[in-house]
Amino acid sequence: MITFVQLLISGISVGFIYGLIAVGFVLIYKSSQIFNFAQGEMVMFGAFLVWAFLNLSIPPVLAILLVLGIVALAGYGLERFPLRPMIGQPILATIMITMGIGVFLRGLALLLWSHNIGIKYQPIITEKTLYIFTVPVSNVTIGIFFFGLILVILLSLFFNRSRSGLHMRAAAESHQLAQSMGIRVTRAIAQSWAIAGVVATLGGFLLGYVRGIDFGLTDIGLVAVAAALVGGLESLKGAILGGVIMGVAQTFTGGYIGYGLKEVIPFLIMVFVLIFKPYGLFGLVKIERV
Amino acid sequence: MRRASGIFDTSYIQDMTIFRTKYYSAGMVLLILFFLILPFFVRDFWLAFISSTAVTVIALQGLNILSGYCGQISIGHTAFMAVGAYSSTILAAQFGVPLVLCLPFGGLGAAFIGLLFGLPSLRVKGYYLALTTIAAQYLIIYVIKTPFPEVTGGAIALNVPALKIGNFEFQTERHFYYFVLVMLALMTFFAKSLMRGHVGRAFVAIRDNDIASEAMGINLYQYKLLAFFIGCFYAGIAGALWAAYSRVISPDDFTLMGSIWYIGMLIIGGVGGTLGPFSGALFIGALREICVIVGPYISSMIPQIGAQISASLVEMTFGITIILFLVFEPRGISHRWEIMKESYRLWPFSY
Repeated sequence: MITFVQLLISGISVGFIYGLIAVGFVLIYKSSQIFNFAQGEMVMFGAFLVWAFLNLSIPPVLAILLVLGIVALAGYGLERFPLRPMIGQPILATIMITMGIGVFLRGLALLLWSHNIGIKYQPIITEKTLYIFTVPVSNVTIGIFFFGLILVILLSLFFNRSRSGLHMRAAAESHQLAQSMGIRVTRAIAQSWAIAGVVATLGGFLLGYVRGIDFGLTDIGLVAVAAALVGGLESLKGAILGGVIMGVAQTFTGGYIGYGLKEVIPFLIMVFVLIFKPYGLFGLVKIERV
Repeated sequence: MRRASGIFDTSYIQDMTIFRTKYYSAGMVLLILFFLILPFFVRDFWLAFISSTAVTVIALQGLNILSGYCGQISIGHTAFMAVGAYSSTILAAQFGVPLVLCLPFGGLGAAFIGLLFGLPSLRVKGYYLALTTIAAQYLIIYVIKTPFPEVTGGAIALNVPALKIGNFEFQTERHFYYFVLVMLALMTFFAKSLMRGHVGRAFVAIRDNDIASEAMGINLYQYKLLAFFIGCFYAGIAGALWAAYSRVISPDDFTLMGSIWYIGMLIIGGVGGTLGPFSGALFIGALREICVIVGPYISSMIPQIGAQISASLVEMTFGITIILFLVFEPRGISHRWEIMKESYRLWPFSY
């Protein structure tokens, strides 16, 4: 029973990170109808970038803010080239353009950091074991849980209350309508890429803090993509829920069955959900006409 | 398609003929002769390059049928190659069947697994289908790695028996070169013929608009599954050939990155034509070799860069190449080649 609760809590806290990364993915899809297959590489690259900046002799908070700024700028730039020409292109092209970005990021990371094996962040808080109703839980897990929760709340506030968040939601509904209301759609798309980059970097930082920084973070980013599909591509809360489902499923299979299956179970869940509910749990069912 | 000046097609048969003029036929004969006598003039390095490129082209033909003609995007192509490689190897190693006879079985094994993963294509399409094929990639490699390590060798490499026909054993690069090229010719001929018939037309119709094609009487499920069957059959054959050629296989040969490379090669070569796989595989193969050669020079000039300079250089150039092609020439090298032929024919009044 104690193991069960432990696994559940760590599953939910990892799940929030997946959900966070999935939100970035959903944002890009909603605003520009482009599936960002580079999300995994963005997570990996962000984690490495934070590590590199933390090694400079500047205060850690400043370093992280600096990285987030750089990543947001890069997201802005990515929209201008190569993504703007891709709007309305065939699916194969849009898939491959994001994959091309991913492959490039991967190559760049290999070039810069391939000799850094088994690296970890400096611990920010000293690890202690807390007891919640006699269940021992690490305070890092709880910290990540609350950090993830705060970020999710901040994101939803941004989309529901702030001006540019509303612009992005309008652009997601319909490009033409948004344009006729005086919203710059390209800017909204660029902002969604910037936010996706920031969110992926934060997710990479949190995941890297838990499990160390390596190139395996790419696969974890893909798990977040699967989570977004399970939740339904149009829904932000679906993305969070999908992430939590994936996180819990992963920790349970890892805890009770074995490590090998842990890597695969999210995709297994995704295939089953797609077969029975093709548009995910909260997705909009599309009616197609010729 | 535009013919050379003075040649007119007066029937559909003439219009569809592959070798329409005697120059085409002569060119084909010359090409075959060139590849026949090539091994007597060049080093083994080039033969190895051509053989591995030929295996890649076979796999790409399958991907071209599945994703290029039928529009069902697959990002799990190397996983299906792995199925082919492993099933033929296990059949040969455990049951003592000659490896040559195992090649088609490798193809069939991959084809049936492909059918299984093609099933979601009946419900979902586009991006969603692409992700289920990524799932196929992870699931298949997991099945190879974990549950039956005594059969599949687990995560460790598996030795492949020697390729023999009768008493003749394929040992040198030259032997494999001929074998692989014959296979390539056969598979290309098969793909070309299939895509010229009603199957190919149905595939193109499904790619362009599946609902409209269903309304016009094309059995969508049957043809989508057929596309998965054929495409994965090609992948299986290519995987089995690769296993026979490299003599040792491990799950790490068949990664998600590999599948991404295949789609990239297809895009760069040109989607939906027989020439695309050839030009894409050659272009990327050459690019990769250049990066591998140039890499050490750069790392000797700037020693503080990591040891994996070649690998990172290969991936970075590949990523940039894909992006540039998609933005500036989305129809690939083969389209550019067609344009060049056109303008040559119309010279000096080309436009």
